[in-house]
Amino acid sequence: MWSPGCEVASTVREDKGGKWSSDLVLDLYSGLLMEIWEIVSALIGEAILALLFLSAIRKIGEKHPFLISLKVSEEGIVLDRLKEEGQNLSPLEIHRGFQSLINHLFQLFSALAEGVINKELYPKVFPKVKEADRIISQR
Amino acid sequence: MRLIFKNLNILRFILNTISTTSDIKEIVESTGASLPKLFDFSSFGMFWKTGLLLYLYQEESCPPSFTKSVVENMFKVPSILGEDPIDVNRVTLQLEKRKLKPNQMMDPRATLKSFFALPLAGEGEIIGCISLNSDQPNAFDAQDLQFFSVIGYQMTAALKNFERFSSIKDMAIYDTLTNVHNRRYFDERIGAETKKSFLSGTPLSLVMVDIDYFKNVNDTYGHTEGDKVLYKIASLLKNSVRKDDTVARYGGEEFVLILPGAKLEVTSMIAERIRRLVETTLFEVGQTQIHLTISLGISNLPSHRAKSEEELIKMADHALYNAKRGGRNRVCIFAGHSAE
Repeated sequence: MWSPGCEVASTVREDKGGKWSSDLVLDLYSGLLMEIWEIVSALIGEAILALLFLSAIRKIGEKHPFLISLKVSEEGIVLDRLKEEGQNLSPLEIHRGFQSLINHLFQLFSALAEGVINKELYPKVFPKVKEADRIISQR
Repeated sequence: MRLIFKNLNILRFILNTISTTSDIKEIVESTGASLPKLFDFSSFGMFWKTGLLLYLYQEESCPPSFTKSVVENMFKVPSILGEDPIDVNRVTLQLEKRKLKPNQMMDPRATLKSFFALPLAGEGEIIGCISLNSDQPNAFDAQDLQFFSVIGYQMTAALKNFERFSSIKDMAIYDTLTNVHNRRYFDERIGAETKKSFLSGTPLSLVMVDIDYFKNVNDTYGHTEGDKVLYKIASLLKNSVRKDDTVARYGGEEFVLILPGAKLEVTSMIAERIRRLVETTLFEVGQTQIHLTISLGISNLPSHRAKSEEELIKMADHALYNAKRGGRNRVCIFAGHSAE
């Protein structure tokens, strides 16, 4: 699980074979989602944020069905089921699904609060998204 | 720090106002009146989905093009979140114009430059949205968003309470089968209207309506089809009276109309129009269509000199009895008990 201050690069470890396994990519993105949740819920509250997450999962889940296993409520995001089921997916597939989800969330934040939410998120989240992109593309 | 404390106090005041007000319009007005102490904005809006009402509380010099952008932006919120688009034509817009910026006029070409448009979300559903808008770029920051979302949460709770209260109130005064008022509401209304008529001397008419041979419908086609007929007749009655008139189910297949301010001649015309309408309507029962008729009895104040609401009801009932006895499918005006 994500804890404040932990960096994506340090949570993601290469497995014995020297490749980025699916569960490591899942760990990476679960950390990112938790961080987004922490920052945005402080701005707009859990009920609205849960609604935005659910809407984004519904929309992006059409193309990346594994995202439907994400459980979202006002209490937060639970990835346990997704982590179990996601092991059968390729790291790239997981990466693309989460990237689309995060992009869509950013679009929703922008549609509802212009740049105010994204301004808070970008410095903290965007470098990690780029880092994830770099790690996956190195495979 | 002092500023934050001051703002928190204003926020506390706004939240308290919202939670202690039961009228939606009042909530918007009192919130709108306090918001300039917290934000520098040109327009504040609240859209209530169930009531299809959009309230805008805005600077009086807001140009119409700015208002239009605000409205469009708010209507986008549910569809952005995957809900069906709002049918804009069904929404009632209530515009409250106020001087929000002293000694300042908005540019007539001003456009929407900054906004928040937050869904009002409770128990996983969107019940509306609120928006804060400005013609200035970067008018709002993260703290503004925090404060505005807190206001949104309080408004959600207030709207939810209002909806719950409304549905309980509806259940108490409407007949669930026909959607017209129930007997309890009629009893209250006729008491109030009779008193008003006695005091002011304005006319008051009562029309008792009974479906002819309704028992045959139930016996032939079953009670479910009979219920559909009751619903259809209630709809015809509702659509045939004026806005301030009351239509209620009196019991069984009997309905009653209260027509405040209606003289005997007018009431007679309305009753005859309703009779003809029912007579010419085809009612679908099961796989077939049938014709039905109704009988109507009228009593009126001051024409019939009733001394109480009970007497006025008895007079209309007596007139209805005469309509039935006279062959049904007719309108009878009370003509004294001796006519019996």
